[in-house]
Amino acid sequence: MKNRASLSRSPRKSLATAAAVLAGALAFTALPAQGASTPGVSDTEIVLGMQLPQTGGASPGYNKVDDAMRAYFDYVNSKGGVNGRKITLVAYDDEYKAGKTVSTASKLITKDKVFAMVGSVGTQTHISVIKDINRRGIPDLFVNSGYSGFYTDPKKYPTTFGALGTYVVEAKILGKYIKENMADKTLGILRQTDDFGRNTLAGLNTAGLTFTPDKTDAKFIAGAQAVPGALDAQMKQLQDNKVDVVIVGATASAFAAAVGSALKIGYRPQYVVISVGSDATTFQTILGARGTAPAVSAALLAGTISASHAPSPGEADDEFVKAFKKINDEFNKGPAAGKVWDNNVLQGMNIGYLTTAALQGAGKNLTRPGIIKFIENNASKLTSAGLSPLGYSAKTHEAFTGFWIGKYDATSVLKPIDGTRKMWTTDSAKGLVTELKYTRPAIAADALPKVG
Amino acid sequence: MKLSTRKLIASLGAAALVSTLAVVTVPAARAAAPTCTTAADVEICKGTLANGAAYTFRVPGNFRGTMFFWEHGIRPTYPGISAVPTGIEEITPANSVTKKDITKEMLKAGYGLAAYDGTDKGARGWNNIARVEMLKEVIDTAVAKYGAKIQKKVIYGSSQAGSIITPFVEKYPTYADSVGILAGVTPSVADPIQSACDIFYILSVFADPTIKGCAVFGTKGLPGHMISAGELGKVVALLRAWQGNYGAPGLEYPAQLKGSPIPQRSALLLTGLLTGVPTKSAHMDGISTSTLVAEHSINATVAILENLGEAVASGVIAGQSLSEITGPGFYDNTKTDWAAMLDEADAGRYNLGLSGDDGINAMLGVLKAAPRVTGNADAIAKFKALDKSSFTSKHPTILLSNEADRLVFAGNSSRYVDRKRAVYEKALAAWEANKTGKKPIWNTLAIYAMTPEIYTKFLATGAPDLTATPAESGVGHQTFSVKQMKAWVDMLAVAAKSGKVPTAKYVEYIATKVPYLNGDTEYRPNDLKYDSGF
Repeated sequence: MKNRASLSRSPRKSLATAAAVLAGALAFTALPAQGASTPGVSDTEIVLGMQLPQTGGASPGYNKVDDAMRAYFDYVNSKGGVNGRKITLVAYDDEYKAGKTVSTASKLITKDKVFAMVGSVGTQTHISVIKDINRRGIPDLFVNSGYSGFYTDPKKYPTTFGALGTYVVEAKILGKYIKENMADKTLGILRQTDDFGRNTLAGLNTAGLTFTPDKTDAKFIAGAQAVPGALDAQMKQLQDNKVDVVIVGATASAFAAAVGSALKIGYRPQYVVISVGSDATTFQTILGARGTAPAVSAALLAGTISASHAPSPGEADDEFVKAFKKINDEFNKGPAAGKVWDNNVLQGMNIGYLTTAALQGAGKNLTRPGIIKFIENNASKLTSAGLSPLGYSAKTHEAFTGFWIGKYDATSVLKPIDGTRKMWTTDSAKGLVTELKYTRPAIAADALPKVG
Repeated sequence: MKLSTRKLIASLGAAALVSTLAVVTVPAARAAAPTCTTAADVEICKGTLANGAAYTFRVPGNFRGTMFFWEHGIRPTYPGISAVPTGIEEITPANSVTKKDITKEMLKAGYGLAAYDGTDKGARGWNNIARVEMLKEVIDTAVAKYGAKIQKKVIYGSSQAGSIITPFVEKYPTYADSVGILAGVTPSVADPIQSACDIFYILSVFADPTIKGCAVFGTKGLPGHMISAGELGKVVALLRAWQGNYGAPGLEYPAQLKGSPIPQRSALLLTGLLTGVPTKSAHMDGISTSTLVAEHSINATVAILENLGEAVASGVIAGQSLSEITGPGFYDNTKTDWAAMLDEADAGRYNLGLSGDDGINAMLGVLKAAPRVTGNADAIAKFKALDKSSFTSKHPTILLSNEADRLVFAGNSSRYVDRKRAVYEKALAAWEANKTGKKPIWNTLAIYAMTPEIYTKFLATGAPDLTATPAESGVGHQTFSVKQMKAWVDMLAVAAKSGKVPTAKYVEYIATKVPYLNGDTEYRPNDLKYDSGF
């Protein structure tokens, strides 16, 4: 568990004996009522909480996000913080086990008394706590999950906002590309039978792509991929049905397992992967743990088509990439491997930037309802490294509404598929996919957002 | 796993027999005066109520004026399969497993104690209406004996007592200065019993079509006891089989799912999730994994397996007893929407254990199509109106529950708070409109004993060790630590004097002194699956 060192709260130690408990009991009505002040906010500090897998099978790649966010906050703090308040990020390891997500959320809320949750990672884990976080009115900002069910009905989860485009939006955009460019190929899907896979299939169906059960539609129970060979049957099924293009609606660990299973039977289809499943660091780390050399895993990833809402971390000339990379180099105190610049670090930096912007916008009188209202009403003011606008409004809490499509090169960098980047946009419902004309606002010279 | 089949059957037998006499009788409030002795500076008084039930008082030399009146939970009536209480079993709150109570601690603190045997003319079970009057009689007798020495009265009790104390303080408001409900069934027993009956039904669809469950409850006397015991026996047999193989084999029932890749354990997990059975148990923390318990949802499935026996047994004990009040046919599931009963978070969190979306959809599909149980309209109406309360009591009321109580789910406590809050907010709105009279105050507090985060132990084989020392807090029914129970009664004592429940800040402070007591007064356990409105 990584945590900040300070922020100790001192119970009145003089009342420690059992007898004193009774004495305290006799006096309890005289104690002051719980203050009306906003939890996690003082004149000098804003405390934020986060949950992510820092260890365990699901941690590769994702375990870099918190250090990147903290690095950006430390940079902000070095410039005076937000409205004179320094930002403290408390992050707990849930190991991608929902039971630990529940207990760590409780710790963040009751012990650390966070103002807001921010950047928490994972669909299956976050779904275990989202209801309680919302019930308590705690801002649940910029969740690292593309599951549309968290964001498209703000009446259900009024405090939750996404950090990614939804899986539906991404699948619709990839689906349009596939339909227009791979019409002569036999298409198949490998998907998790859960929220992620369901979102992916819905988006592809909306784009006009359909699959035949038990033939071109191969599915598995999320988590089963941890068992070696668990996806052998699915890849064999797709091979037997002469599928040329395998669309993957699954996590990176499943994609890595699928590639391994396909290789065993000499099956090398074109992969089109929803972005969280194709993260290069995650993919290569998982294969590396199974003994695959980096050069080999890079070769396996090369040619895979995916999408992104942000610049590729390899785009050295991008001004956000340049600024964030510099801050990462100077402020990231994570382990050496963790601070290596990649898409996860970029995403962490971007959430740090976005959070800072939202805190600025909410103003000096920072309240939980205040920041939610600000985000809902001021999406256009919340700029970031993203190459599409943010979709936040009172009607939806989806983040990025646009993606560009790319292909991984031999160095595991996602590059625009036809050399020039074209952004596409749509919604998580039945809206059309259209080309997005959006000019991202420039980053300021000091790399701080200017909101409010 | 030790499911203690004999104990379950024993409890069932007793409950069924209880029900034969679980009718409304109101005893005359004329208890015999107690006979008293003093030993070790504690006066011990014993006597009998008008209906013959025993009561006792214990008052220490350092008595400070606060008298606690204890109301115990459900008990068997007749000898036979299990031992029948021979009198007063509990003087104060006690851990149902270790049997450790806090009598010594309470006397030392200067509290006076009163308790009685809730036997009404030889019958126990769901005899709430009679016990409301018996409790009044106990208090009247204590006041007659001690007079003004009793300055404050705390009415507190466990489990079934929730359904006795709640109407009691509404009927006799001057008889209490504060109210404590420990692992209590309240507001209405109908809601949790409907879930217990659902367990039988769902198991009949997925595991044993011969199970009839609550649909056959309602026969009075020994024949009814034998019928319900038989139903429990079928469930126990299933649990024993699953204990051996953790539900790994494929489903045998229904015919539509035979041969599907869905293992029996997915149906077991679904059964628990649809009915609200806790996903943590005495030995399973819902998190830890091993070579055999490969994923957290499998851990939770074993937790449900471990919990299910008592959950069903409680359904049988209370259900059979209630059916003698309502008549046969109180259970009806013709309108149950099974898909709506599966919480979105549970479907996501336990997706693997449930065999993914496909497994969930297949199982919910067959449940939807399965023949339903049609009840009797009169019995259903009586069932839903059981233990009807108004929740208008203004006494400071403090509830304490285990986070993962497998018998009286913790959602009972939050439901009680909801009911009280609705009344409070209505009263507050009325006061705001007129600004006359005393401004209503919020005077209810629910606190919870939590489990440790991790406590599952595994054998060398990777199998969970279900004989290891159980979790030290948060699981089981009425299994609180001495410190937790003492903290609760101390809060009740002070609340009786001040007229107010402790502040959130104070509870937070006390929780730092009492292991696993949750200091978060905004904590909310999983909601009960049903809300009959009472």
